[in-house]
Formats: sequence, structure tokens, C-alpha cells
Amino acid sequence: MLEIKNLYKKYRNSERFSVRDLSLELKPGEIFGFLGQNGAGKSTTIKCLTGIYPFTSGTIKICGYDIQKDPINAKMNMGYVPDNHSVYEKLTGREYVNFLADIYKVSKREREARFDKYVAQFKLGHAVDTQIKSYSHGMKQKISIIGALIHNPKLWVLDEPMTGLDHQSMIEILKRMYDHCQEGNTVFFSSHNLDLVSKVCDRVTIIKDGIQQCTIDLHVKGNKETLESTFVKITATEQDLINRTTDDIFGIGR
Amino acid sequence: MGRKKHPVLTLLKLEFVNKFGTVSLKDGKSVFKSLFYIIGVGALMVALYYVSIIFFNMFERAGILYEALVLVYGVVFAFLCITGVSSTSKVLYYKGDNEILMRFPIKPIHMFVSKTLFLILTQLGLVMVVLVPLLVGYAAVTEVGISYYVRIPISILFCVLIPFFIANVFAIPGTHLANKIKNKHGLIIILFTIVVSLFFAIYMLLFDSMVQFLKDTEFSVFSPEVVKIIKDVCKYLIPIKYLADMMVLNELYIAYPVLINLTALTLIGTILVIVKLYQKTLLGNIEAEGSAFKKVTKNKVRPVFLSLMNKEFLEIFRSVNYSFQYFVLACAMPLMVFFCNRITLALAKNQVGEQITLGITLLVMLIFTTIICSFSATSISREGNNVYHIKIIPVSPLTQLAAKFTMYFIVSFVANVVCIAVIIFTKQLEVKQAFGAFGVVQACSIALTLFSMRRDIVKPYFNLSGEGELVANNVNTTMSVGIGLLIALVIGVGAMFIGYLVAVETALYYSLGVAGGLLILSFLTYFTRLKHRFDYIGT
Repeated sequence: MLEIKNLYKKYRNSERFSVRDLSLELKPGEIFGFLGQNGAGKSTTIKCLTGIYPFTSGTIKICGYDIQKDPINAKMNMGYVPDNHSVYEKLTGREYVNFLADIYKVSKREREARFDKYVAQFKLGHAVDTQIKSYSHGMKQKISIIGALIHNPKLWVLDEPMTGLDHQSMIEILKRMYDHCQEGNTVFFSSHNLDLVSKVCDRVTIIKDGIQQCTIDLHVKGNKETLESTFVKITATEQDLINRTTDDIFGIGR
Repeated sequence: MGRKKHPVLTLLKLEFVNKFGTVSLKDGKSVFKSLFYIIGVGALMVALYYVSIIFFNMFERAGILYEALVLVYGVVFAFLCITGVSSTSKVLYYKGDNEILMRFPIKPIHMFVSKTLFLILTQLGLVMVVLVPLLVGYAAVTEVGISYYVRIPISILFCVLIPFFIANVFAIPGTHLANKIKNKHGLIIILFTIVVSLFFAIYMLLFDSMVQFLKDTEFSVFSPEVVKIIKDVCKYLIPIKYLADMMVLNELYIAYPVLINLTALTLIGTILVIVKLYQKTLLGNIEAEGSAFKKVTKNKVRPVFLSLMNKEFLEIFRSVNYSFQYFVLACAMPLMVFFCNRITLALAKNQVGEQITLGITLLVMLIFTTIICSFSATSISREGNNVYHIKIIPVSPLTQLAAKFTMYFIVSFVANVVCIAVIIFTKQLEVKQAFGAFGVVQACSIALTLFSMRRDIVKPYFNLSGEGELVANNVNTTMSVGIGLLIALVIGVGAMFIGYLVAVETALYYSLGVAGGLLILSFLTYFTRLKHRFDYIGT
């Protein structure tokens, strides 16, 4: 579904690589978590695979289509929800989703069925014909998700999807992620929330300073329970270790 | 411990810093900016002084100098009332900082007083810059005593206070009206087009009269009928005529009591409105600013290209700011071109001859086309945080950019067609020349659109504010206007010279040649490594 091979990304005017030699392979029907601290290279990787950023070297294939050589077909199979919840706010919710449905060439029958289903699932019925600029943070996130799913993409990519959402909205989005995978599709999302990732993901990759540290199968016994400690061990800096010693002295976190 | 500053003064300082920025004598750039500003204002005052001398002389020749003074006060008064309603409504009720300030323990009265003082002081500055040169210009045309100059500050005071109080009374109904029509985008465009066209027409007619007067100072630009109308209008222009009366010492026993009573009455009205409605309207507006309209639509299926164009159109159409910059100017362009052309042609034909009419028409049309086309210099920048959409959607960069281009092309094409139709209909140009001029202007507008879009693809500026819109001019727009004006000069002035020295036909071929060359160059520039440039947008 998604195949990243030896991805390298260096920004213009930067001396260091933001992503170095990253390789991933996602299977159909799985929820894949992408973990890392702030600035680890999660968003950069996601922006490369969605076609937002060009990359230095490596290959990214979505459903077998190379994002650089055949971007139209690759993007046709992907839905993306950004971390900033940015959408065209002068349009109404329905206009925005219809715009994307036109772009992804979704038939009228299919778009109406999916639109009604998602609007009901995300409880947005009262707001779909109102301009998006009046939406709350969570509502913008939900309309962004509906827009990303209107063409029923095989790969659904979400960058920090739960940031700033209330508990109920998080549950609604998680349910949609499960349902999407049940239909044979794949979900790839980045997060800081280890607890959430350990509960919903089939596999996770941890990235630090642009380098892939490990990929963990959470169906293997014990991996779910040790995910947090593994993550902390991998991503801890020297300062973190000093802080931890201080915490130990003062008994914090016991 | 230093003395605690009164909250009103702190808030007033904040208003000034917000509006004009801070001036530091240690910062060279800041000093240079301030000096530039002062010199600009000084130059404007001098220009107004000389224009007012021509203006008053024109009226004096017709024996209606007093009426000219009444009209000057009338225009200034009306302008201050209208802009006063708008600025009062913006500063007191709409401004974004209201929401911020209301979170702090600041008394509404302090907020109101600081904002009111800010409005009065800025109004005072504006009136001084405009009215002082005009009144001094009046004194240069006719004999006035030394006391005339003493009365200038008194007249300025009335001119600031009365319109300000009137504006305050009307600001709340004005605000409610603005909220009511806020989402009626078509109506806003029509209203703005009418207002812009009307102001431009009046301005150009006045300019035309002054030019005629300058050419023959013995000649009166006003017919006896017009003189009678002006006299009648000024007689009933109450209370404005009393400001003029005060200056020329006419019926002072009526003028002063009327002006003083009017100031008191409007002040009472303002106080009543503020006490009863300020806080309520303020809260209501904070809510209304974020409000959006509801529009029930069907899930309509459109082809990709049309959907992209539709999205682009709605994003512009539903923004008052963008609509004004683009649609309103495009709608008003034929009228502006007609008036400009008529005056410059009348002037030039008498001085040089008909050979330069094509060149002048091209110059005028290209200047207005430049203003309209410069909007395409923000085609990518306007996407702001939504720029990721153009990168993730499965539509080739060429198609996406072509949809944007097509919308700009349609607008400029329609504006140019109407312009040329007006020019042919009013016989400002021969039909053959008019079609030639259309070809030149159309080619240049395509070239300029492509240059501007290319520039914005290479270096977009995503500095959006408020409701996610570009408010301040960015470098791309400035560059686009600069290039457009240069093209207008090269083609327009070149065609004038060639038309005068060789033949009009040769001037047309010259213009078509330059425009064709620009068109080819713009296509070459636009398509060079376009995909590569597109890939790097927003990275």
C-alpha cells in the first residue's frame, strides 16, 4: 500500500538531512503509527510522501505508483489530513467536500452516500451548509477528514490528527480509522500520544533526528506494554537523563 | 517608583503604535520613514494649495467665490461624516483588539475614551492637512483680514467635532447595516462599483473643468444656469454654509449660535447612544465578526477544471477585500478609461494632433489593465495555509495553474472588450485602430498575468492576516505593477512618438510587435522549469 525506500530529505539552505535512509512498507488493512519527538522528522516524511515536499533521494510508492514519476495516480489513492486543520474557510462544508469530490472524480451517487455517512458519523449535519470559517477547531478537523475520505482512498495519511480534540471527537475519528482499515485500506498517522498509539496501531515506527530507530509489531506479546519505555529509551537525550536523575532524587514521578 | 500611567493614555498609545508603528530616533530606517512621511504630507499640502487657487479663481470668474467656499466645506464635511461612520464603526466596534482588551480588567469607559480620542486626533490631523491649504488658497484669491487666519482653527474645530459626533450617532445603525449586507457579496460589488465610478466621474469632470479653465482663464466654465443652480444649492446647504459664513464674516449672529448648538446637540446624541448601546453593540459585533453565512447547495458534480475555477472564484467573490481589489476595479475600468481618454485626448489633440490618439488610448488602457492584472501576482500567496491542497490533489500543476489563469483571463478579457466597445461607441478611436488597440492590450494583459503568476510561483508570500486574507501589498504585486507601468510607457509613449513622427499605422504595428514579443517572452518565462518551481512552492 505504501512503500518508502531509502528516503533522504534535506531542506534547501540546510546542512543536515531532516530524514535519513528511511524505509517503510505498509500492508493493506493495518493502522501504522509514526512516533517521534518534536522535530524528529515525522511531518517532513509525511509531507514527502503526500507530494507536498520534494525529496533528495529514495522512492515512495503508493499502491505501486511512484509519487515522483506518476504523482497523479499516486495521489488519487491517498487521502491526507494535515496537522494545522487548514481548509478553504470561505466555502461551506458541503462546497469544500464537493470541490474535493470533483477533483478526485467521485460519482454523484458515491459522493452523496459517503458524504451523508460521514456527516452523520461526525455529527456535522447542522453545519455542513454553513461557511467553514465559523467552525470550531474540532469541526474543521472533521470536515478536513470527510474531504480526505470522500474518494475512499486506499491510503489515509493523518499528521497529528488528535491535537486539540475533545475526547468524543477523538473516539469518532478512531472509529473511522478502524472502519477504514476493516474495508481493506491502510491508515498511516503520526502522533505524540503513546497511549493512543499503543491502543490502536498494529505496528509503529520510531524516528529520532530523521533516522528510523525501529519498527515494532504491537501484536507481539509484551510490545504494547513496553512501548512507552522503549520510546523513552530511544528518544531520550542527555538532558532528559540528567532531568530523570534529578526527578529520582526528589522522588518526582514515583 | 514612577507615577502610574492612566489606562486611557496607555490605551491611546497602543492605538497609535498599532496604526503608525513606533518611531525611534536611534533607528535610521524609522527616522527615514518618518521624514519621508512628513515630506509626503508637506508635498500634498502644497499641491492642495495650488489646486485650490485654480479652483477658487475658476469660481471667482463666475462671481460665485463664496459658493466655492461653501462647496469646499460641503465636500470636506460630507467626506468626514462618511469616513467617520466607517472609521468609528471599525475602531470602536469591529477592531480585533476589542476582543483582546475585553479579557483584561479594563473599564469599557476607558476603552471608549481612548478610542474616541484616537479618532478625534487622527480626524484633526486629516482636517488640518486638507482644510488649511484650501482656506489659505482662498485667502490668496480674495482679500481677507488678519482675523480670517484666526478663524481657521475655530473652523477646523467645528469641522472635526460636528462630523465626529454625527458619525458616532450613525455608527451603530451603520454597523448593523454592514452586518446585514456582510454576506451579500454581489450587492457589495455593485455598490462599490457604483461608488468608485461615481467618485471617479466627479473627479474627472472637475479635473476637466479645471483644465479648460487653465487653457483660457477668461473663459467661464459655468453657464448662467449652472451658476444659478450652484447659488441655490449653497443657499440651502445648512448647516455647512454657516462654516463659510463664519470665515467670510457673513451673518455671524446666526452662524455661531447654529454651529455651537449643533455641536452640543450632536454631542448629547453621541452620549445617549454610547451610554445606551456601546457595550451591547461591542459584544454583538465580536460575535458577528466570526459569523458566517449559510447556503444550502446540492452535491453538484463539475469537471475538474471548472471545479478549480469555481473554487478560485468563490474565494475571491466572498472576500470584500479581494472583490474590491479585483472585480470592482474590473467593472469600473471602462468608465475610468473613457474619462481619462476623453480628457487626455482633448488636451493632446489641441496641442499635437490626432496622430497620437492611439498612443494615448493604449497608455491609459494599459495602466488600468496593469492594476487589474496585478491581482494575479497573489495567485499562490492567497492560498496561505491551504497551499498544501495544490500539492496533494491529483491534478497536474499545469491544469491547476491554467484554471487560475483562465479566471484572470476571462475577467481582463471582458473588461477590455467593454472598454474597446466604449471607445468605438464614443468615437475616441477609429474602428480599425480600436481593434488593433484591443489586440495590443489583450496580449499585454496575458503577458502581464503570466509574468505575475510566475513571480508568485517562484516566491510566494504567505503573510495572511485577519480572515486568512492578504491585506498588505507584497513585493510580487509591486513588481507586477512596476512591470505593467513600464510596458504601458514603452508601448503608449512609443506609439505616440511614432504616430506623430511617422504614421498612426506604423504606431499600431509597433505596438502589436512589442505586445507580441512580450507575449512570447511571457510564455517562455512562464513555462521554463514550471513543474520544478511548482514542486518547491511552500517548501
